[in-house]
Amino acid sequence: MLANITAKLRNCTCTARKYATSALSTTDNSTSTSIEPRTLTFPPKYQEPRQIWLESLDSIDQSKLGLLEIHPSVFAARPRIDVIHQNVSWQKMYRYVSYAHTKSRFEVRGGGRKPWPQKGLGRARHGSIRSPLWRGGGVIHGPKSPTPHFYMLPFYSRLLGLTSALSVKFAQDDLHIVDSLELPTEEKSYVEELVKERLWGPSVLFVDVNDVFPRSITIATDEIKHINIMPAYGLNVYSMMKHDTLVLTRAALDHIESKILEHLHKNDTRAVMAKFKVDQQ
Amino acid sequence: MSNTTEKALSLLRYLPRVCLANIRDNPGAKKKSRRGRAQHGGDYHGAGNKGSNQRQNFMRIGYETGNNPFYLRFPHEPYYKGHHLKRQYPPLSLLDLQKLIDTNRIDTSRPIDLVTILNTGLYKLFPDQHHFGVQLTDEGADIFAAKINLEVQWASEQVIAAVEKAGGVITTAYYDPHSLQAMVNTKSFFERGIPIPRRMMPPPDAIEYYSNPGNRGYLSDPEKISEERLVLAQKYGYTLPKLDSRILEMLNETKDPRQIFYGLHPGWVVNLKDKVILKPLEEELKEFYAL
Repeated sequence: MLANITAKLRNCTCTARKYATSALSTTDNSTSTSIEPRTLTFPPKYQEPRQIWLESLDSIDQSKLGLLEIHPSVFAARPRIDVIHQNVSWQKMYRYVSYAHTKSRFEVRGGGRKPWPQKGLGRARHGSIRSPLWRGGGVIHGPKSPTPHFYMLPFYSRLLGLTSALSVKFAQDDLHIVDSLELPTEEKSYVEELVKERLWGPSVLFVDVNDVFPRSITIATDEIKHINIMPAYGLNVYSMMKHDTLVLTRAALDHIESKILEHLHKNDTRAVMAKFKVDQQ
Repeated sequence: MSNTTEKALSLLRYLPRVCLANIRDNPGAKKKSRRGRAQHGGDYHGAGNKGSNQRQNFMRIGYETGNNPFYLRFPHEPYYKGHHLKRQYPPLSLLDLQKLIDTNRIDTSRPIDLVTILNTGLYKLFPDQHHFGVQLTDEGADIFAAKINLEVQWASEQVIAAVEKAGGVITTAYYDPHSLQAMVNTKSFFERGIPIPRRMMPPPDAIEYYSNPGNRGYLSDPEKISEERLVLAQKYGYTLPKLDSRILEMLNETKDPRQIFYGLHPGWVVNLKDKVILKPLEEELKEFYAL
């Protein structure tokens, strides 16, 4: 199926390529001298570090400040679509409580008396008017309220979900790094125009490291329902998949990358998995 | 990383945007466990037709339809009497230990005891399941080459020979379950804010093992141990290496039979928050903890 789609897509020219965030060649990084380069913790052994433009929100048109190196274990990991799906369905399900409720034959009012004698009437034998065979009778194995659907996805599936989602976003040019979320105005139209001009798709998720955001972006995005802001500790697979474009600040990039790398390299697997083990003894 | 990752990522550049609408699990990843009806796998569902298999009226286990059952046929033979009370020593091989040292999980410049091994996170101990410490086994004895001061709870003769041949020192020491519980997760023990307990003496059936210089028991005479080191070297045909003078102090470091942690005495309270150690002042406590 994928082969069919790719054959079609290969023919169409990709107009958005000039807006690509992932730098494919390193020859044109003339502007990268002014910014502070990043040092990668846990330097990758087998993969080259990836490069991404550092952008700015100061003007509506593209303004690139320089190139940043990002860790391939986080941003060029194997894109496991199935694990992304597992994360998304887990996020939907763990908080879902079904309140659907039905009554069994003993909970439905009445039905204690035998409706008619067993024999002699030529009618079918019945013991209760609330039997499941009757209209208005009880329901067999019906849903009972409340039914929680809480479960915990294994820790490393959650981690793999995050790296997969970030890698997918980066591979599809839907990941952008900005120096800060400070906007020149508090106008709603400024953000809308900026997103339209840079082809960031209708929905955008801005992520900063802390949960205190600059006043300008909070006011500008407050009314727009498809442009949202989120602190780094709230970053999750569902929100990344829901929004077309993910915009991280440089500080958020550092924070997320260091956190994920820390978890990828630590060896107390049993301790982090133990908390939500299903069959605890 | 493998080439498939690169391929997948470059393929994604030409594919529509991955979003909530087009993600799915791998085909066949989830198996629905439902009892099908009629044409959807109906029939007898593996229960067969008629009789006990269909109606679940199984005989009780061991019942032989009137025969004298097998489990009652012979007189009492208590093979496993007291089995649940026996001390267990989960094994760790010399190969594992060498690997822990080679991968920098264990620092050989300090004495190695159960706490060191447990802190690697790669060896687990459950004192409530009658685990009484680590048993060092002889797998990898040929390649063991670390000069260490090692304390384990159980060791065979080959293991002792392998450690001493490499120029190290080995001791076998007993810890009671309360001491072991403190060692299993040291941080959570210190957070409880209770004094470090005294290590108990071994029970009567273990005294002999731990006071035998052949086993390098911690209760045996040190002079007899040095004799036994020579005897073992002659038995296994190696020349006993002289203890390295640069690390002699570390190799000679021993614990008191009442002590659990190196450098910490029983009765002390370790306050992790303020980073201080509180020592008892009252005479009665000092006497109790033999300080």
